[in-house]
Amino acid sequence: MSKPSEESGLSRRALLSGSVALVPLLATSCSSTTSSASSPRVVDSVFTVQERATLQALVDRLLPADEFSPAASECGVLDYFDRCLSEWNQGDVPLLRAAVAALQAQALERGGEFATLDVDTQDALLVAMEAGQFPAAAGQAGFNRLLRLTLEGMFSDPYYGGNRHYAGWDLIGYPGAVPAATPPMQAMGGRLPALHTSAYGAEHDGH
Amino acid sequence: MATKLPETDVVVVGLGAAGGIAVLPLCRAGLQVIGLEAGTWMVPGRDYRSDEIYNNVRGLVTTGNKVSGEIPTARRSETEVARQGARHPMMNAVGGTSIHYHAQSWRLNPWDFRVRSATLERYGAAYLPEGSTVEDWPLSYAELEPYYDQVEYELGVSGKAGNIQGRIDPAGNVFEGPRRREYPMPPLRSCDYLDHMMHAAKELGWHPYRGPAAINSQAYEGRPGCGLHGWCDRGGCHLRAKSSTDVTTIPKAQATGKLTVVDNANVRRIITDQSGRATGVIYIKDGTEWLQPARAVLIGCYTFENIRLLLLSRGPRHPDGLGNNRTQVGKHYFAHWDGQAGAGASALFPFDLNIWYGAIAQGVMLDDWADDNFDHSGLGFIGGASLHTYTEKHPIAAAAMSSYGHTQRRWGAQWKRFIRDNAGRWTSAYLQGNTYPYRNTWADLDPNVSDPFGDPVLRITAGPKDAEPKAAAHAGQKMLQWFRAAGAIEVAGGQGGTGATVSTHTHGGTRMGLDPATSVVDAFGFIHDCPNVALIGGSVMGSAGARNPTQTLQALAWRTAEHLVQNLAMRGA
Repeated sequence: MSKPSEESGLSRRALLSGSVALVPLLATSCSSTTSSASSPRVVDSVFTVQERATLQALVDRLLPADEFSPAASECGVLDYFDRCLSEWNQGDVPLLRAAVAALQAQALERGGEFATLDVDTQDALLVAMEAGQFPAAAGQAGFNRLLRLTLEGMFSDPYYGGNRHYAGWDLIGYPGAVPAATPPMQAMGGRLPALHTSAYGAEHDGH
Repeated sequence: MATKLPETDVVVVGLGAAGGIAVLPLCRAGLQVIGLEAGTWMVPGRDYRSDEIYNNVRGLVTTGNKVSGEIPTARRSETEVARQGARHPMMNAVGGTSIHYHAQSWRLNPWDFRVRSATLERYGAAYLPEGSTVEDWPLSYAELEPYYDQVEYELGVSGKAGNIQGRIDPAGNVFEGPRRREYPMPPLRSCDYLDHMMHAAKELGWHPYRGPAAINSQAYEGRPGCGLHGWCDRGGCHLRAKSSTDVTTIPKAQATGKLTVVDNANVRRIITDQSGRATGVIYIKDGTEWLQPARAVLIGCYTFENIRLLLLSRGPRHPDGLGNNRTQVGKHYFAHWDGQAGAGASALFPFDLNIWYGAIAQGVMLDDWADDNFDHSGLGFIGGASLHTYTEKHPIAAAAMSSYGHTQRRWGAQWKRFIRDNAGRWTSAYLQGNTYPYRNTWADLDPNVSDPFGDPVLRITAGPKDAEPKAAAHAGQKMLQWFRAAGAIEVAGGQGGTGATVSTHTHGGTRMGLDPATSVVDAFGFIHDCPNVALIGGSVMGSAGARNPTQTLQALAWRTAEHLVQNLAMRGA
């Protein structure tokens, strides 16, 4: 499998030159034409402090820190949760709160709050939650939804609060949003160099 | 009480892929046309974004205001209660779903126009799909060819011809019917992945080609070439390079001075008189009800609303709905056997594909296992599917990949390492199958679920099919073979699928035909017993080809409009 050092020799400058230069880089969006861009970038959490601590521990087991990226929470996944759950996916909140409560109840039976347990015990609880082995129906459904939202938070445009410093896109090798792609940006032979470009421009990339 | 407006020559209901085409020949002929559109104009800089959350997760380009209130219900058999889905597959806007479609712009194979008789000739009656009501179309490929050509040049379609007046060119699709001339533009730019797949297919002895796209590969009629930025699927084009009707035929029609576009207009009924002819339509705009009288009406909504609008439009001579005196409205409905029906495949390669950018229509296609392009003797089914692999991979979808059994879980350290290495190394293909109507599949009005006005929504009943799952599984195995030949280390899918109920490729329900006992509209699209109303759109198509239907329904719409021009000219002012 390729390592970061195997990136092709193309520079970011080379990719953005040529025909792309004819198109304004941010032609796809600008703050004056995206009404939601004016919505608050920092929103109050829809979760309590304790729920948020549980969620942080949970998402950090789904996408743990390794040599390629920080853990999910450090990449802003919880900020993505708060933002999308307050402005779009409000309907998910009851399910997710119930799921967190179910996880916490199971954790307490194992000797403490979920966030305080060792990672093997945390993983065992999540495996049971995913498999539908919690008494509460919200366990499995909530797990599936949380896993999906974690993916969204990690790999969506940083405009939404996650994918902080493009950590998610760097992880999988997605260079960034561009208004037009040059032939080298579709060439095989190693990973493309990172561009670190949000569809919403640098002022809206969340950091 | 509706406020009556001055009469116009023609009202077109819906300015999407079909209505947006039909207005052009009508206006060019000098007719006064009013286009009633439930949505409004989309603005590229405001409404289209390079954003997977916006386009694909939340569906904010594609979720129209009117259709969201009339999502059809669906069930698998008559004994079930039909349930409403979360989203309508289509959108309301000037340009309609041609704004966010993949813009793969095909002609059907000549075989598609005569499935029944061709099957009887080659294989015998036993090969007709059991339970199917498929008929030959009331027109041939050759009769539609001039209209295909017209649409390709009016819209701007990129591609490579495989058959110009009988001269076969293996750089194009060798199985296609003869066309009079080359495409207006060459295919969209290729890339390494597509070249690689093209080469692998040729090594297998197959006939790959670059699929046609209603997307500019170079500047055309004042619009630029495609930027291949990778946000075509469920997004509009920020460059206006996609040849959606709102940037092509509708502005051309407006330029004649004959087209009035009325946006945010919710059409609720077609009004007919004691003679059974239509006198106009009722619509609501800004909370006010209007009666728009017209000499003729073209209904160009999506399949669902074409059917529903007829069923809701009862009149003195049409007590069970317009055109439904022979109970054919809603019959012969079907959803295309395609990726939405589960007919897809995926593959993992041991190298980076770099298909993040591009467009779904930037692909490689082959028809060797579609239509009647191979001998079906002994196989027990007719038809097949086209195989299509392509570019445009969005990051969330890429990370949500299958681990092909390589990881124990779909989360955690091992899984994270796996997607780190492989999210850019997998791809997918979709298969689009020849699909036919069946007696066990139809659309009617739902007895339980209504739209915000209290009118019932459409109800889809879709039973199991005979030929389609076999044909799709056969083609699916060929797709896996193609992936393996190209060096894939893992493949998945290719099983044939279970069939869709609601999809972006629904057909039929107001089928065209020569016999009023088995069809709703005649060979030109006009209702058998209401000759000043025509249906345009996929609802008139009696079978689906192994490819996207849009350009065919657009060619049919042009032909319908041209026929109307001739008829109105004969009748005089």
